[in-house]
Amino acid sequence: MFNVKVSLFARTRELEHSIDKLHDKIIEMTMVFKNAIDIYLQERRSENYRETSKKIKMIEHDSDVLRREIESRLYEQNLIPDMRGNILQLVENLDRVINLFDEVAHKFYIEQPDIPEIYHGELKTLVKQVADCAENMAIASRAFFRDLVTLRDYSKKVYLLEHQSDKTSAKLRKAVFDSDLELARKIQINTFVEEVADVADLAEDCIDALLIFAIKREI
Amino acid sequence: MLTYIFFLSSGLFLGWSLGANDASNIFGTAVGTKMLRFSFAAAIASLFIVLGSVISGQNTADTLNALGGVNTLPAGFAVSLSSALAVLLMLKSGISVSISQAIVGGIVGWNVYTGHQTDMETLVHICASWFFCPVIAAVIAVTIYCAVKKILHHSKLHILWQDWIVRVGMILTTALGGYALGANNMANVVGVFIDSCQFTSFQIGNLYTISGVQVLFLLGGIAACIGVFTYSQRAIKNVGKNLLSFSPMVAWIVILSQSIVLIMFSSVKLEQLLQALNLPSLPAVPVSSTQAVIGAIVGIGVAKGGKGIKWGLVLKLMSGWVASPLIAFLLSYISLSFMENVFRQTVDLTIK
Repeated sequence: MFNVKVSLFARTRELEHSIDKLHDKIIEMTMVFKNAIDIYLQERRSENYRETSKKIKMIEHDSDVLRREIESRLYEQNLIPDMRGNILQLVENLDRVINLFDEVAHKFYIEQPDIPEIYHGELKTLVKQVADCAENMAIASRAFFRDLVTLRDYSKKVYLLEHQSDKTSAKLRKAVFDSDLELARKIQINTFVEEVADVADLAEDCIDALLIFAIKREI
Repeated sequence: MLTYIFFLSSGLFLGWSLGANDASNIFGTAVGTKMLRFSFAAAIASLFIVLGSVISGQNTADTLNALGGVNTLPAGFAVSLSSALAVLLMLKSGISVSISQAIVGGIVGWNVYTGHQTDMETLVHICASWFFCPVIAAVIAVTIYCAVKKILHHSKLHILWQDWIVRVGMILTTALGGYALGANNMANVVGVFIDSCQFTSFQIGNLYTISGVQVLFLLGGIAACIGVFTYSQRAIKNVGKNLLSFSPMVAWIVILSQSIVLIMFSSVKLEQLLQALNLPSLPAVPVSSTQAVIGAIVGIGVAKGGKGIKWGLVLKLMSGWVASPLIAFLLSYISLSFMENVFRQTVDLTIK
């Protein structure tokens, strides 16, 4: 009986660590992604970019493993029955954000868009806003498990950053279409800008759901 | 002895009703929120109901005897049966009611039928406890709720560990609640048979002697266990889910408050301690676990702003609290009349 209890405690602790690690992966992803875009804008598809891309793939793979682990453990150990569905949805949402980062980075690697230098500054600003938005989403999501007041604070930040990223992407796309570039290049750059901005939109959706779950979680 | 067992059967039926109806208050919220499995919760509650009945069940019986000393077996049978039927009628209509109220209605019915004066002081005491029970439960629940909220806010405990604590708390509270229910409410079930008890005492090894009256309480406890396993799941659906949608933490606070209230109203030692300290004491009176649970739920609901409470359902339940003693009173009066005039049984030994 004692052994069973100890092992249940150990398994709960492992699950707690897995949830924490998934959040760590998002924060790590935001930093590596920012770095990857910086490298791409400077060196295009260099060896350095290839290495950073690999790192992104690795983070995405690790987070997939963690997601599956969390999902199966929640059900195997019959934990948090009233919130289990919500937590599964949350974990799926977090994974979707990580996947989108990976997709965008990979798309840069495959398509190698030729982005004129005059847009680099604005694009870097957008990438920073999007990465910060996702990072704050991860902090808010981590707080959901421990401290609902902190969750609300970081949710506000996510909404603010998403709004800013919307503005930056709109400004950038307008500048691209107002330029003398070929239509094909305009469309390609526009697609990339939209996809980067999509990460912030997804983070915002994640927070919307999270705030609903938090209402349910309040005692 | 066979006649005795036959007449006792209505008491056992009432015991079954107690298990079917009131036991859901102990672990209904825990099962309703899927924190504990029904079979596990029912097993723990059953074990402790039996222990509570045998060890402390007699404390509240004195109050019932003061209200009306039903002194023949056939009369005990009629009073018990009427109360059980009143509870069953209410259960069938989906209202969780109190066996405490039904049995008081039944005893008053005996008093009226046999021409005995009802001890108004005791009746007022009992009725006052019906009012104070949900109020005290609400106060305790709100106090624990605020304290838990504060602790959770400061400790920043992970949701997984909160889940663990609530689960362990629910298991302990189910045991405490079971004991409290047995101690407080079993007098309702077998109290009217104490004066005519025919069981003899026996020893368990060299450790513990069970008196004849305790055997009576043991049988009542076993009947309640059968009620828990066979019928309580229906009542759980009402109390556990309909009244207010709440989290497992709140569910645990509700059952803890209910158990504390039941213990408060069954402990003679606590009564003596409060009296010694010159504080207003709580008499050892059988109170309603349903009222305690509803008092606790409504209290927390009000503390949360009162938005989630289904007041219509609260009123429906409260109407059952008035209806059940009245129905038991009428049924008791009618069945005693049948018992005396049709079956030619003595329903009162007092020489007038």
